[in-house]
Amino acid sequence: MSKALAFINDKRVRDWFYQAAVLIGLVGLLVYFIRNASENMVKAGIASGFDFLWRTSGIDVPFVLTSYTQSDNILALFWAGVANTLFVTAVSLVLATLLGFAIGIARLSSIWLVSALAGAYVEFVRNIPLLFFVLFWYFGVIAALPSPRDSISVFGVAFINNRGLTIPLPDAPANFHWAFGAILVAFVAQWLFARWAKRRKEATGQDAPLLVVSLILLVLVPVLALSWASLATRWDIPVLRGFNYRGGFVVIPEFVALLAALVTYTAGFIAEIVRGGIQSVPHGQIEASAALGLRPAQTLRLVTIPQALRVMTPPMTNQYLNVLKNSSFGAAIAYPDVVSLFMGSALNNTGQAIEIIAMTLAVYLVIGLAVSAFMNWYNAKIALVTR
Amino acid sequence: MKTIYLAGAILAGSASMALAQQLAPSPTLDAVKARGHIECGVHLGLPGFSFANDKGEWTGLDVDYCKALAAAVLGDATKVKFTPTSVQQRWPILQSGQVDLLSRNSTITFSRNATLGLNFQGINFYEGQTFIVRKKANAKTAADLDGASICVAAGSTEEKNAADWFRERNLKVTITNFQKNDDAITAYDSGRCDAYTAGVGALAGQRAKLKVPDEHVILTQPISNDPQGPVTRWGDERWQLIVRWVLNGTIAAEMLGVTSKNVDEMKANSKNTEVRRLLGAEGGFGAMMGLPDDWMYKVIKQVGNYGESYERTVGMGSALKLERGQNQLWTKGGLLFTPPFQ
Repeated sequence: MSKALAFINDKRVRDWFYQAAVLIGLVGLLVYFIRNASENMVKAGIASGFDFLWRTSGIDVPFVLTSYTQSDNILALFWAGVANTLFVTAVSLVLATLLGFAIGIARLSSIWLVSALAGAYVEFVRNIPLLFFVLFWYFGVIAALPSPRDSISVFGVAFINNRGLTIPLPDAPANFHWAFGAILVAFVAQWLFARWAKRRKEATGQDAPLLVVSLILLVLVPVLALSWASLATRWDIPVLRGFNYRGGFVVIPEFVALLAALVTYTAGFIAEIVRGGIQSVPHGQIEASAALGLRPAQTLRLVTIPQALRVMTPPMTNQYLNVLKNSSFGAAIAYPDVVSLFMGSALNNTGQAIEIIAMTLAVYLVIGLAVSAFMNWYNAKIALVTR
Repeated sequence: MKTIYLAGAILAGSASMALAQQLAPSPTLDAVKARGHIECGVHLGLPGFSFANDKGEWTGLDVDYCKALAAAVLGDATKVKFTPTSVQQRWPILQSGQVDLLSRNSTITFSRNATLGLNFQGINFYEGQTFIVRKKANAKTAADLDGASICVAAGSTEEKNAADWFRERNLKVTITNFQKNDDAITAYDSGRCDAYTAGVGALAGQRAKLKVPDEHVILTQPISNDPQGPVTRWGDERWQLIVRWVLNGTIAAEMLGVTSKNVDEMKANSKNTEVRRLLGAEGGFGAMMGLPDDWMYKVIKQVGNYGESYERTVGMGSALKLERGQNQLWTKGGLLFTPPFQ
C-alpha cells in the first residue's frame, strides 16, 4: 500500500470516519423525514410552519399562572401550559419527597404496625396504574366537596367547594414584593452565618448561637414580613354571587386531584428508594457510631443518611423525571397543563399536529435534561471525596 | 372515397366512445371497490347521530349518511365499517387516509377548510350551540350563566364559541376543557360544572347519559350556527363529487317526494324528468361519476330520503324528538337546499 493511503491504517482516523459516517447518515435520515413530511403536507393542503403561534388563541383557561388571557396568541397559551406543568411538577416533587422519606423510614421502624402499614402502602401503590390514581382522586375530590352555596368557609376569606379553593388576592402586590425581598435577604444572611459559624468552630472550637439566629432569620422575619404585608394591603375577598364566588384566585380541583395523585403515587416509589438507600449502609457503620457514643438520631443524621444519599440520588433522579412526565396525566382530568392546552385545544384549533407535538416534546426534553443536570451536579457534590 | 368516410366515422365513433368512458382517476373509489366496504369515521357515541347499540349496530343521522354512500357506491348499505373517533383523532384519521370520509357531527369552519386539507361536502345538519343546565339553577338564556363554570370538549368549536360569546358580553365564566365529550358530561353530572355546552342536537342525545335526565334543561336559544356535514380530504375530486351528490340526492328525493316506500313505483311510472334522472331511469348520471345508474335508487330503497332518515334518527320517531326546524326543506321554511339534478 502506498504511503499516501497509510492513514487508513490509523485506528483513530478510522474511528472518526465510522462515527462521522453514522452521524451524517442519521442527520440525512432526519432531513429526509422532515422534507418528506412537509412535501406530503403541502400536497394534502395541510398548513405547516410556526405562523400559527401568533394567531389569537381564543381559548379560556381556568387556571393561569402567567398573564395569559383569552385574547393573547397561541404562543402565550403554550407558555401558560408550560407554567402549569412546571408548577404541578415542582409542588409534587417536594411533597412526594417528604412523604416518601417518611414512609421509607417508617418501613424500617422496629414497631411492627408502622413498618407493616408502610410496607402495605408501598405494595399497594406500586401495583396500581397511575391513571386509576388520577381518576380516583379527581372524582373523589369532586364528590367529597360541597356545591358553591354550601361552601366550607375558612375564616370567611377563603372558600372550599367543588369549583375549587377560592383564596383572596391582594389588590396591589407591591407590599408583598418588599416582604419577599426581606425574606430572601434573611435566608441569605442565615446561610452566610451558618457558614461562618462552621468555619469558626473548625478553627477555634467555639460554638455560635446558631439555633437562635436561625429561628430569628428563618421564622420570625418571614412571619413579621408577611403579616406586615397582609395588613398593609387591601384584599380582594371572594363573595358569593350567582353561581359561584367572585374575585380572588381559584385553586381548581383538577390541580388538587393531580397533585394528590402524583404525590401519593410517587411517594410509594421514593419510599422504596429511601429504604434501599438506608439498608445499603453497612451495619458495621451504625455499630461503630454507637460505639463512639452517638445517639440513634445522631447516627441517622450524621452517619446513615449522608451515606444513603449517595446510593439514593441516581434512582431519585429517575423518579423526579417520572413525576414530570406523569404530570401529563392531568390531561385526563382537564388540568390545563401543556399537553391539555397545547396538544389538546391548540392542536385541534390549528390542526398543526407535527409542529405542536414537536414543541411539546421539546418542553419535556428541556425540563427533563435540566432536572438531570441538577441531580448530576448534586450527585457529584455529595459523592465520597477521597483524599 | 367511401372507405375514407367509413374510416373517419369509425375513428370519430371510437374517439367519442373513448372520451365517454374517460373518467378522472379516483384512488379512493378504486380502493373502496377493491376493499368491498367504505371506511367511515363517526362520533365515539352520540345518540341520534352515531351510536352503537349493545349488538354493535350503528344507528344515527351521520351513520345513515355513510350507509347511503355505501348503497350508492357498492349497492349495499350494510357495507360500511364505522371507526369511532374522538375530537382529537378526527382530522388526523381522515388526513392520513385511514377513513374514506368523516360523517361526524363536526362544524364546518373557514380555518378547518383552509388549513387542514379538508373539504366539507354539504350540510346534513344545521346545529346551533347551546347549554344544558340544572333546572334548579333557574337559567333561561345563556346570559343568565354569568359566573358559571362550563364544561366543554377541548378543541371543539364550542370551546371557542362559548369563550367568545361571554367575553363579548362582558360576562365572566370559567371554561373547563376535557379531552372527550363524555368526560365533560361526566364532570358536569358530578357537579364540577354548572353547565355543559354542545349543539342542540348533540345535547338532546347526550342528555340521556345523565344520571337523572329530568333534573336538567336545555336552553332553547342557540348562541351560534354550527352547520355540519360529511368531510373529505383534498384531492380525488371524483370521490368528493360522489360524497357531495349522494347527500344532495337524499335531499332532492325528499323534495321530489321519493321515499323508500314509493321508489319502485316512482322509478317505473314517474313522468317528472328530475325524478327519472335521480333514480337512473334516464340521463345516465351515475355513469358520469363512475357509479351504476341506479345509485340513488339503491340509496332511497335501502336507507330512505333525508326526511325519513331524520325522523327515524333524531326526529319524532326517535328518542330525541327534535323538530325539523332549520333542517326542514327550504320550501317548508327550513334551510335545506340542493342544486338541481340536471
